Amino acid sequence: MTEAVIRRTASGKMRIDCVDKNRSAGFFLIGIAVLSTLGFLYLDIPWSKMLARVPQMGIVFWKLGHFDFSNFDLIGSALLETISIAVLSTIYSLILSLFFGMLAAENIFKCRVLSSAVKAFFTFLRAVPTPVWVLLMMICIGMGPSAGIAGLCVHTTAFFTRAFAQSFEAVPSETIEALQSAGASKVSVFLNAVLPSATPELVAWTGMRFEINFSECAILGMVGAGGIGYVISTHIEGYEYGTAGLAIFCVFAIAFCIERAFIWIKSKQRAC
Amino acid sequence: MQSEKRLYSILFFCIVGLFVASTCFARYNPFEIFFNLENFQAFIVDDFFPPAIPTGLKLKAIFQGILTTICMALSATSVAAVLAFVTALFASKRVSPIQKSPKFVRGFATFLRNIPALVWAFILFSSLGIGTGVGFIALCISSYAFMVRAFAETIDDISQDNLESLQAAGASFIQVVFHGILPSCLRGFISWFLYCIEVNLRSSTVVGMVGGGGIGLVLLSYLKGFKYNMSFTIILAIAVMVLLVDALTNYLRKELDLE
Repeated sequence: MTEAVIRRTASGKMRIDCVDKNRSAGFFLIGIAVLSTLGFLYLDIPWSKMLARVPQMGIVFWKLGHFDFSNFDLIGSALLETISIAVLSTIYSLILSLFFGMLAAENIFKCRVLSSAVKAFFTFLRAVPTPVWVLLMMICIGMGPSAGIAGLCVHTTAFFTRAFAQSFEAVPSETIEALQSAGASKVSVFLNAVLPSATPELVAWTGMRFEINFSECAILGMVGAGGIGYVISTHIEGYEYGTAGLAIFCVFAIAFCIERAFIWIKSKQRAC
Repeated sequence: MQSEKRLYSILFFCIVGLFVASTCFARYNPFEIFFNLENFQAFIVDDFFPPAIPTGLKLKAIFQGILTTICMALSATSVAAVLAFVTALFASKRVSPIQKSPKFVRGFATFLRNIPALVWAFILFSSLGIGTGVGFIALCISSYAFMVRAFAETIDDISQDNLESLQAAGASFIQVVFHGILPSCLRGFISWFLYCIEVNLRSSTVVGMVGGGGIGLVLLSYLKGFKYNMSFTIILAIAVMVLLVDALTNYLRKELDLE
């Protein structure tokens, strides 16, 4: 081995890492550190004022910890409403985006213009945060769970369409060509070849999005779409910390159960 | 193959059951939106279009809002990432110097993660008051919890051989971290970090709406004042901001060779 191949530091130690790759990561980290510091200074947060209020935070957590079960029926029905919003919005967007995902995937209709148009449209929908959509739907449909479902659907469909299109495009082209050469139409190629081979991924995406949708639902109540978020925000604002604490705990418990359930499903999938 | 089919049919029936139950409960009619289509169209055509062009002070307020939102997302993610890196070392089974710590740290992170950022914001607002700082802390908490789990999994995923050989050669915990974990996990950490920035940019808009400052607050004040033309402009501005940051993170992913 020549001397040129073995890189040595000034003290004569051999460098065994890949210099080029690590350098770009180093630059990136330095850049992020500088920008974050600048951003931090720009925000100009009054830390001393906030530090002085930290004891108050302890009191709030203490009060939140003392659950008040007197309003449990209210919390229960709000929780059920939240769960049904999450379920319905996930299912409706699942159906919609199977269709749009088919249009957006490049390997099914082989029409670049169509797929890029669909993709661009949904990228725009995805870029606007969910609560904005829900607020707009509330203005149109009125308060209540319907606005929540419709608003969540917009964002979820946009998310699913991109994810599904990616999964569909990952299906090997040999499978599709084999069916096409046997004379299958485009829709039947989609139903019989693409969809079955993408199913495991679709289940994974759905699970991930269902978790997100549940926590978004809990958020949406706070902007007025009903559900558990509404209960949490009104009770915190009314200083009834016992009820709010119980509601937050319920949100946590259900989110935890959903997460566990999907971890279990994934492990089953892998075992198959 | 047989068991896979069975799993999917069980899942399918679960989904159908859930669907029926929740439709009954929420009394949701998917065609409701079509009944309101007229309303919808009137709203979009009359109220939303054309987007107003902000001038003078309004333009300045929008720019400041966007800058605040970006700064909040970026620095909250960075602070959370540094804290999460230190915590993740104790959350990984193979690396942690304390035997029992992974269970507790993971449990703690699960607790923090499963409570949405906005709920944290509400709890903090009621104790610390309203302001950018509180939004910053709320974002920090949720992304910290997310990154602890992601980082710990990245550490557990890397090959154990080099860690074991370092340990066998008598390296201390700190040496293992800097010569074993950091070089091999840095890429994974950075890609999770970029993902977190994307998520936090969206959440910081939302947290802003309930009192965290930034563009969310500006948008909500226009919506509440029924100034829909201006709100539309701000929604477009938010979309452009998110798209630009997404493009930037994608570029960085390619440049840093993360994919």
